[in-house]
Amino acid sequence: MKEQIAQIKEKALKDIQEAKDAKALEDVRIKYLGKKGELTLMLRGMGGLSPEERPVIGSLVNEIRDELEAKIENGEKHFANLEIEKKLATENIDVTMPSKKNNLGSVHPITQIINDVKEIFIGMGYEIADGPEVELATYNFDKLNTPPDHPARDIQDTFYITDDIILRSQTSSVQARVMETTKPPIKIICPGAVYRSDSVDATHSPVFHQIEGLVIDRNISMADLKGTLAMFAKKCLGEKTLVRFRPHHFPFTEPSAEADVSCFVCGGKGCRVCKGEGWIELLGCGMVHPNVLRNCGIDPEEYSGFAFGFGVERIAMAKFGIDDMRLLYENDVRFLKQF
Amino acid sequence: MKASIEWLSEYADINVSPKELGDILTMTGSKVETIEEQGSDIQNVVVGKILEIKRHINSDHLVVTKVDVGNGEILQIVTGAQNIKEGDIVPIAKDGSKLPGGVEIKTGKLRGVDSCGMMCSVGELGLDIHNYPDQIENGIMILKPELEKELGKDIKEVLGINQTVIDFEITPNRPDCFSIEGLGRETAVSLNVPFKNPRKNIDEMTVKDVNNIDGLTVEITAPDLCYRYIARVVKNVKIAPSPEWMVKRLNSCGVRAINNIVDITNYVMLEMGQPMHAFDINSIEGKHITVRRAGKDEKIITLDDQERKLNENMLVIADSKKPVAIAGVMGGQNSEIEPTTQTVVFESAVFYGGSVRKTAKAVGLRTEASSRYEKGLSQENALRAINRAVELVEQIGAGEAVEGKIDVYPTKQKIARIPLNVDRINVLLGTNLSKEEMVKTLEKLEIKVENGEVIPPYFRPDIEQLADVAEEVLRFYGYDKLGTTLINAETTLGGKNKEQKIADNVSEYLVNSGLSEICTYGFLSEKDLAKCNIEGNNEYLTEAVKIQNPLSEDYTIMKTTSIPSMMQILETNNNYKNKEVKLFDLSRVYRNKNGVIESGNLPEEKNVLTIGIYSEKEDFYTLKGLVENVLEVAGLQRYDIRKEKENKMYHPGRCANLNVGTDVVATIGEANPLLTKNYDITQRVLLAEIDIDKLTKYARKNQKYAPITKFPAVERDISMVINEEIEVGEIEKIIQKKAKKLLEEAKLFDIYRSEKLGENKKSVAYSLKFRLPDRTLTDDEINSIMKEIIAELEKNLGAELRK
Repeated sequence: MKEQIAQIKEKALKDIQEAKDAKALEDVRIKYLGKKGELTLMLRGMGGLSPEERPVIGSLVNEIRDELEAKIENGEKHFANLEIEKKLATENIDVTMPSKKNNLGSVHPITQIINDVKEIFIGMGYEIADGPEVELATYNFDKLNTPPDHPARDIQDTFYITDDIILRSQTSSVQARVMETTKPPIKIICPGAVYRSDSVDATHSPVFHQIEGLVIDRNISMADLKGTLAMFAKKCLGEKTLVRFRPHHFPFTEPSAEADVSCFVCGGKGCRVCKGEGWIELLGCGMVHPNVLRNCGIDPEEYSGFAFGFGVERIAMAKFGIDDMRLLYENDVRFLKQF
Repeated sequence: MKASIEWLSEYADINVSPKELGDILTMTGSKVETIEEQGSDIQNVVVGKILEIKRHINSDHLVVTKVDVGNGEILQIVTGAQNIKEGDIVPIAKDGSKLPGGVEIKTGKLRGVDSCGMMCSVGELGLDIHNYPDQIENGIMILKPELEKELGKDIKEVLGINQTVIDFEITPNRPDCFSIEGLGRETAVSLNVPFKNPRKNIDEMTVKDVNNIDGLTVEITAPDLCYRYIARVVKNVKIAPSPEWMVKRLNSCGVRAINNIVDITNYVMLEMGQPMHAFDINSIEGKHITVRRAGKDEKIITLDDQERKLNENMLVIADSKKPVAIAGVMGGQNSEIEPTTQTVVFESAVFYGGSVRKTAKAVGLRTEASSRYEKGLSQENALRAINRAVELVEQIGAGEAVEGKIDVYPTKQKIARIPLNVDRINVLLGTNLSKEEMVKTLEKLEIKVENGEVIPPYFRPDIEQLADVAEEVLRFYGYDKLGTTLINAETTLGGKNKEQKIADNVSEYLVNSGLSEICTYGFLSEKDLAKCNIEGNNEYLTEAVKIQNPLSEDYTIMKTTSIPSMMQILETNNNYKNKEVKLFDLSRVYRNKNGVIESGNLPEEKNVLTIGIYSEKEDFYTLKGLVENVLEVAGLQRYDIRKEKENKMYHPGRCANLNVGTDVVATIGEANPLLTKNYDITQRVLLAEIDIDKLTKYARKNQKYAPITKFPAVERDISMVINEEIEVGEIEKIIQKKAKKLLEEAKLFDIYRSEKLGENKKSVAYSLKFRLPDRTLTDDEINSIMKEIIAELEKNLGAELRK
């Protein structure tokens, strides 16, 4: 019987060896190890053996069975791998072919600057305030210490709806509204469109955007203003940007300053953008004029505050190197998609 | 305001370069616009003496001259000039010299004779002939004989045209700096050198007050507009050109010399900032000056020969019959100084700035005088100015002073007294300065501190309260020395409100979906609305906010809708042949509802999102999906979609409103073909308007978790034939009504039309999914609901169910 078993083993090993694919291997498994397989039948035929022989033959058959199963399994793995390799070989694609995607749109450059500024100031604890564009003259002028005879009220500069209603010429109008309705501390910025009677050319537009900032609390100082703007300039225009204050005059602030930033194009060496000066005029600012505080119901003896305001288009143009303001309002998608 | 270094030096010793001076003054508040080196375009032009003049052998109108140009150098120069003679001192442009306009002079031959330079005329030197009244326009400039000792010297030095002039931007709060004296004061303090005050004698001068001078009297009938009027008289006047030094200084400030009397008024204005006027006393009828409001329709011909119409809001200087000047703006031709004038009345007055500004604007004449008056001048300075003018008359020998002044001074200048609160100033500035440091700075500016009170000088009416004092302290402490601190105060939270967040989220979604944001003007014209089919009684037109003074007829009203701007930008892109254009605009629209503006209130202002698309790939349903997602991103889940046929801008068969109750949150659709035609776009245009304010009102973010059910869904299909005009939305409404909470989803999966179905019919098929969260549904339950749905569809829509 041992001999018979050895023969089966040899035959089976040969069959495994010769199997050409997974199917042939499976046939081999059935032929020897299946329910009616040759080796299985050997086990069944053990009934006729002596009690001494039975365990010997039994363990021999099991040994061979394990060996064959392992070999078959190996073979199967081999054929499965071959199968995958074959599949991989036929499924090669050109990864440089164009993608199937939704094209992305774009955020308008003016909005991008506004968003950057919003983010910086929200991080410093500011809220975003908003006010009407068609505004009462009193918020745009009177409350901001700009009396009726002030040059800024000239009809040539301001669009009038009625004698008392205008298109706001500055986002500062929102300052007055916020101060009137909010108890300090106040920390706001207000981005928005403003209107001035300027004809359209490369650097002028009758509609443009401003961002106004206002802080009112006890003990707010001009040095706080400078510190705030220095922080803002670094975050908005680059870590190396410096801020310089020059004395100036605005009706709604006292002391007032113009803030220059070191040219973020040339780093202060002098270039076309900064006209060789190394500095770019960024904004007007100052300590809120005591008359303005009083006009809005805030006691200047108790509170102080600062305000600043700047034009968004100017910064967008300098930052993105746009040389004609009209491009911003023409909205050619070939322009828009660059942002 | 232009100031030459030479003139400024009369007030302060300037020990730095013009560039440095400019930088220093900019940092103390007098911003430098430009620094001009006058005469820098004239090079190598020197003083020469004509030694001999001989005939040119080849020409009748040319002569050959020998000219001594100093240092023993004799040049042969050929010229065609007629006005020269031997011994004349003239400007010589030597070989290699440069003249204004980029002209270069080189040695050459004229008709075969060597010419080693050129004699120059006033014009060739780039000078204004008006400033050199004794020269002739078409001849060589003949210099004074005493310049013979300056042969070879640079002409710029000799003529004094080598001045360095700084042009300052003067802020409206500092009318005192609209003068050399004011800028000189700032220069002295900024350079930390003594202010020399060359007008000390004027400050100390007293002139007797009189009621009339040789019969001349003055009266102010409008004291609200004229705060002070002073008159002085000079007699035995000899009208003549002004001395050279005065002409040079006037020129350095860009003022042309006219004659000694007029020049003195201009000179005093530049020097002290106080505009002056001079009349011929004979032109004042009745010898009585009245400062009064003009009569209605009164007229005057001003010095520039223009007739000006006046009105009751304007102030005039008048004699007993007629106006002789528009107060603070310009004098009248009728009282002009003539070459024959013998007795002159000088006027130095202070008028209310606001009125001068309005008058100048109304008559269209903004002069050196009016631009000073409109900033508000000091009444005290007016007296100094008139005394200075009379002093100058005598100094240059133009006439003799008549004793006494007429001084009508109804409104005294107020001088503020401000308690010096050192701590408050330090708080405002963020500095830590001592009282002594502050006082030292203030005193340099001639601001007195007495008994703890700050008293500004007469020339600083702008200093009214503590904040103004703080600015003075800071200017000379140094804006650049100011620290950079961060706010040390109560922490604030900051952030965006609900509407701002929704707008940002929606924009982000649209950009990710391929749309580009545009930026548009807030105004447009009625024509633009008409192009969008908005005319007649349409509310978009009747509720438009009108601009009184529009920039042009293209921008006469505020937007009631952004569709016209959107269409126009789509048109622009289409003209550029841009394909697949998808845009959105987040901006305001304005409505004058029920005439609120006429009753003094502000119009309604709304934030609206407008979408505009032209693309061969997209249709109404792409747009619908986009807008549905916008609403979902914002947090609005429940709304109705209703067909909209009335909106004139949209295709009546392809437009819908998305409503919450009766509120329209969004309108979507194809543009009315009239619009695409008007804007020359051949493709279909998709438009949507989303009311961001209403969207914010109804948006809710669902924050509660709903457990995911373990129980199976039951699916049933339903297919029916209905009339073409029935919208599938009605089928869905019936299914929803009947299935209530059991319905998880009703999905349209097939719709078709065929001949077999018949004309005006369509077959619609839905897949319905039912499910309950807490148990399995039974067949009986589903069957009974399906029965109800079918019955309702048959009854209400006349649907024929297909088995």
